[in-house]
Amino acid sequence: MKSMTLHTTVNGRACEVEIFPNQTLLNVLRDTFGLTGTKCGCEIGECGACTVLLDGIAINSCLVLAPQVEGRQITTVEGLAEGETLTQLQEAFLDLDAVHCGFCTPGMLMSAKDLLDHTPSPTPEEIRSAISGNLCRCTGYLQIIEAIENAAKRIQQGRETTPH
Amino acid sequence: MKPFEYIGTDSVEAACAALDARAGTARILAGGTDLLLELHRSGTPSPGTIVDIGRIASLRGISLREGEVRIGSLTTHTELARSAVLRSQAGFLAIAAGAIGSPQIRNRGTIGGNIMNAATCADTVPPLVALGARLTLRSVQGDRVVDIGGFFEKPYKALARENEVLTVINFPPVATNSRTAFVKLGRRNALSIARLSVAALVARDARGVITDARIVPGAALPVWMRIPEAEAMLIGEKPTASLFVAAGRKVSEAMVGITGRRWSTEYKEPVLAVLVRRALEICCSNGGM
Repeated sequence: MKSMTLHTTVNGRACEVEIFPNQTLLNVLRDTFGLTGTKCGCEIGECGACTVLLDGIAINSCLVLAPQVEGRQITTVEGLAEGETLTQLQEAFLDLDAVHCGFCTPGMLMSAKDLLDHTPSPTPEEIRSAISGNLCRCTGYLQIIEAIENAAKRIQQGRETTPH
Repeated sequence: MKPFEYIGTDSVEAACAALDARAGTARILAGGTDLLLELHRSGTPSPGTIVDIGRIASLRGISLREGEVRIGSLTTHTELARSAVLRSQAGFLAIAAGAIGSPQIRNRGTIGGNIMNAATCADTVPPLVALGARLTLRSVQGDRVVDIGGFFEKPYKALARENEVLTVINFPPVATNSRTAFVKLGRRNALSIARLSVAALVARDARGVITDARIVPGAALPVWMRIPEAEAMLIGEKPTASLFVAAGRKVSEAMVGITGRRWSTEYKEPVLAVLVRRALEICCSNGGM
């Protein structure tokens, strides 16, 4: 099997890497880019631990072949914070104890980011639906839902107080 | 995952040429939510060649043109579920697409993949069979249009040729006096595989009398079909609870007639009857779409 060159933008940086076509996006993110924030859980699209944004939309990176992301934009959990400054969403997860063992957290954050980017004031039902593809085996769902609700409020307030 | 040759294509013509040159040793990759599961499984042999059609822009989108709803085969389940055209013209297809997997799966999985994979639990197929959808299959020889009703031979076996790509799904919109429903029973709400489902359509005249009825069970039969003996019971009648119960029993009876009595029949027989009743009730209430 021949290797191939993949051109993709990861967390805002244009990259060129050698891949094999039978690698998944998840493998390439973790092993080639060293972005191990994205977790490898079930590899069958059920646990959501490998969720990343593909052109801004939440997807399971275990179910995407690396060559499928040629020319496209990937955002992983490492792409959320700016340097040491966490996003409102990440702050809300910390403040509301939405992180237990932490394995599901990157996937939860990415599903929540997709939701809040497209639905700034989600209903509790919309939040539950948005994370329905993410399993938390510590079962801290209530704190996660509250954190996402809280993050939506923080982001809204930030918008209102930021001078234009 | 075993090694394979990967061919990325950006036109239907290129995909058809690649498939034709490798007929029998190539697999089509669309959203990948079914194919990657298969490739991940240990012991799955190499697919030979993977022809990726995922970036062919002309195969995406939903339109209503000249009295026909037209859906590109690469349209995702998220796009189907949110489509204003489908919500007004074929509501149960939007509901069925929204019942698939999880948000992440719906963002990648496509209607074409759902049809071609031909799993008996495929959620978009029962509404499409009820709608009498037609499928356009493209190959180097040109287009071939087939009725979805006769398109499946058995579970996981669609009657497409090895060099064909499904490009378009089209059907007439449901009549303005019709309401549709899709009900699905899974083990939980998210990420569930349909244990049983029912797509139903009911049209009524100004007096409330049923003038058209279509019932297609999902995950119940080896291939999808309408159940004419149950549909016929409804035509010319006004909706009543006992009528819907009887129609549900008739669908269960038809299922047992086709599949015979199996280990799961004790469960499926009464449950399918209830799902049919519920679907018909939704069609005749404000919840129908």
